[in-house]
Amino acid sequence: MIKLQGIWFSYGNENTGDELRNINLTIPEGQVVLICGESGCGKTTLTRLINGLIPNYYEGKLQGSVLIEDTNISEKPLYDIAPLVGSVFQNPRSQFFSMDTTSELAFGCENIGLSEDLITERMERVVSDFQISYLMGRSIFALSGGEKQKIACASSAMMEPKIFVLDEPSSNLDIKSIGDLAKVIALWKEQKKTIIITEHRLSYLMALADRVIYMKNGEIAEDLRIEEFKNIPQKEIYNMGLRSIAPITFQHHNDKILEKEMLELSNFHFSYEKIPTLEINHLKIPKRSIVGIIGNNGAGKTTFARCLCGLEKKSAGELQIGRKIFSGKQRLNQCYMVMQNPSHQLFTEEVMDEVLLSMEDDTEENRELVNKVLHDLNLQGLKNRHPMSFSGGQQQRVAIASAIVSGRSMMVFDEPTSGLDFRHMKEVARNLQKLGAMGNTLFIITHDPELIAECCNYFIFMEQGKVLWSGGWSDLNMQRIINFFEATQYMELIHR
Amino acid sequence: MIEWQVLSSASKNLRVNLDPRTKLFLLITICILVIGGQINGIMLIIRPALAAISLILLFTAGKRKISNICIGVYVFFFICENFILPVMTGTLGFILLFFSGFITRLLPGMVMGYYTVETTSVSEFIAAMKKIHLTKKIVIPLAVMFRFFPTVIEEYHAIGDAMRMRGIRFGGKNIFKILEYRFIPMMICSIKIGEELSAAALTRGLGAPVHRTNICRIGFHFIDIFLIFLCIALFILSILSKIGVF
Amino acid sequence: MNSSKSQAKDLVNIGIYSSIYLVITMLLSFLSLIPVFHPLLAILCPIVGGVPFMLFLTKTRKFGMITIMGIIMGIVMLLTGMGYFCLFTGLVFGLLADIVAKSGNYVSAKKSILTSGVFSIWYVGNYLAAFIIRQSHYDHIIKSFGQEYADAYMSFYPNWMLPVLFAVCFISGIIGGFLGKALLKKHFKKAGIA
Repeated sequence: MIKLQGIWFSYGNENTGDELRNINLTIPEGQVVLICGESGCGKTTLTRLINGLIPNYYEGKLQGSVLIEDTNISEKPLYDIAPLVGSVFQNPRSQFFSMDTTSELAFGCENIGLSEDLITERMERVVSDFQISYLMGRSIFALSGGEKQKIACASSAMMEPKIFVLDEPSSNLDIKSIGDLAKVIALWKEQKKTIIITEHRLSYLMALADRVIYMKNGEIAEDLRIEEFKNIPQKEIYNMGLRSIAPITFQHHNDKILEKEMLELSNFHFSYEKIPTLEINHLKIPKRSIVGIIGNNGAGKTTFARCLCGLEKKSAGELQIGRKIFSGKQRLNQCYMVMQNPSHQLFTEEVMDEVLLSMEDDTEENRELVNKVLHDLNLQGLKNRHPMSFSGGQQQRVAIASAIVSGRSMMVFDEPTSGLDFRHMKEVARNLQKLGAMGNTLFIITHDPELIAECCNYFIFMEQGKVLWSGGWSDLNMQRIINFFEATQYMELIHR
Repeated sequence: MIEWQVLSSASKNLRVNLDPRTKLFLLITICILVIGGQINGIMLIIRPALAAISLILLFTAGKRKISNICIGVYVFFFICENFILPVMTGTLGFILLFFSGFITRLLPGMVMGYYTVETTSVSEFIAAMKKIHLTKKIVIPLAVMFRFFPTVIEEYHAIGDAMRMRGIRFGGKNIFKILEYRFIPMMICSIKIGEELSAAALTRGLGAPVHRTNICRIGFHFIDIFLIFLCIALFILSILSKIGVF
Repeated sequence: MNSSKSQAKDLVNIGIYSSIYLVITMLLSFLSLIPVFHPLLAILCPIVGGVPFMLFLTKTRKFGMITIMGIIMGIVMLLTGMGYFCLFTGLVFGLLADIVAKSGNYVSAKKSILTSGVFSIWYVGNYLAAFIIRQSHYDHIIKSFGQEYADAYMSFYPNWMLPVLFAVCFISGIIGGFLGKALLKKHFKKAGIA
């Protein structure tokens, strides 16, 4: 039993205001609770109270008490909370401590001083429960995001806590890995664990959650049983700022007639340690289209994008537009890539300078243009702030602004909506459509069916480094897309 | 026995599995005797012998290409130092002497260091550190350091890519700007990841005031004992030679 | 605050900042493949390394953290084949830097820049091998090449260079401290870290 009583919390830094207001919540043992709400609604903060990171790691002003089995855990050090509450976080890259999977699984148990024999025994059980024997003894750095997340789940299971707290665990995962994650949660549910999970992607949890808590502005706005939540009409869900809870329906974008003029790609090949990861001999893409690049992780989507941008020096491929042929090196000046983590591509201390960096020189004229672009992207008010202090979405918009002023006609987006709520996803989609309307060709690597439904009008489907099919919104392709997002659907996996 | 352990050792069949403590002892021995050793008497044998040990170990670790290069380089300069140089004079001889002096002395240590890093998993290293009763205050930061190193490098490369993609080049611009663009985002991104890492580690009980256990099994085998005794013998010989017994 | 729970956080921080410091040092060290740059590194590394070090100091509130970082530098240098000398210089100058920082209660701006200078002297350990190799070569060269050559040989790393290296590392560390302070203001504070 978890009891939060009269919780008020603020981090107490410059973003003033209370992060959590008057939270009273009781979670009985064995319940699966989904906490949802727009970004900044306080759901992550709430999870930090339960796993003790607040007030032990993130400091701030805390009122009220957090009780687990009648002990106030806010007064306990983190290492005492660790065996009670297992945590899984959003970013698979930053939550492992060891270099190899076996030590990682043992890490928590070693910390609390369990005997070696007991650890080995537990490990055998967890490995078979999670079906991860193929991942054991491997370097974690070489694993995919989905595999890392599985290891993260398994590692927290090693401590055998009664409570699991998952903070947006699916944000960086592909469809298949989300299915695996759903299986893990189903397993824990079977074992009668209490599970608290915050998410933007809701559909995979509909068959698992018992209860849904909707938060707004740091308060609990709704506290519903899952049946009640599922009965909320889709339109209402969108109004609440939440992602779809039902499978996405796609509509024909007949209004978007594709260009006749083509971009022709030939001989895009790339090998990593002698294993071919990209083999595209020939591919045609209509100019000025918004191309969704889909496929599971490891299909070569990012490699393709990097080759397209000319970032892989060893790739020989050529791109032909009209009569002009661009080699990899020349493409560096033709393509602009908005990375999954845009903080990698921001260098200066002010937004204005950042965008100007993409231009030849700093003239009045250019500054005016930048101002206009910033205005269009809703960045006007942030002009003088440090880009690194922004949220991911804001950083992405800064990157888009510098893409626009750099005058390049091809832009690549690497998972632009991972971990975004409905409103922010819509905003990204709108910006992408705007960019498309300006005459750019956009390539969007994405696992987000809602984004695809919103703005893509051409597709490349990749598997094992090859393009399995490509084309626009034909009936056949639509069916293929529906199948892709459904065949790997989590629901069926759970009701097996 | 659990399946994966068999799998991981099968792929490295030629590998001599040394205890990390042996590797460290060898490394220190090499550093002391090879770098500082004299070029006369018994040291003429001890130095190449230690170099040979490091090179053979690297070879058996399956790093064929790099070990062949190192062996080639070492043999070349060793021959220069001992056989060609004594009969050679003039500027060329002098330059060769300069290089051979540094390379025959520094290479073995580097090879041994590289071998140690390449063949020791971090968990083995940490287990060894614990066995020699190094305090937690050094072991934990050291473990984090090893874990975090590749992440910082990844960030560095990602930022380099972004710079190329954005066309940021430094034709004649000052060195300060290069450093600022290259290193500041790298630091900021790394530190943010580091904060998440440390939060995650703490939720898994890092720092609990108990005796930390370790499932990584390390221990001395015949070959370890042999090498350790060999090192001790070489130490004794070199001391004897220094005080003039030989 | 319970001391042992924040201790774990501190220890993780030491690892993280050591990592960043070392990556920067090693990236710069690639320059040393060109021999001319080798002595120059004693200037460059402490200056650039001063930036993450100053950042590290903003997270340091307890005695011993800087010493541990110094020891870690020594262990890593041993593993990269630079000899065991940095184990000593890292320990000694880490400890001295800790004492300086402690005297400013870990908050004084002036003391933190001085701390950066003192800590940077650990880097001298990387050069000691050169002096020792040269010394042990000296007799040999006199015998086979004569005094003239031996003197020329010695001039690559003349004896007076050792104190100079100490001074250079110290001063570069101070410059690095100022640089770090400036960048802290320019970037890191605005970006919400430090």
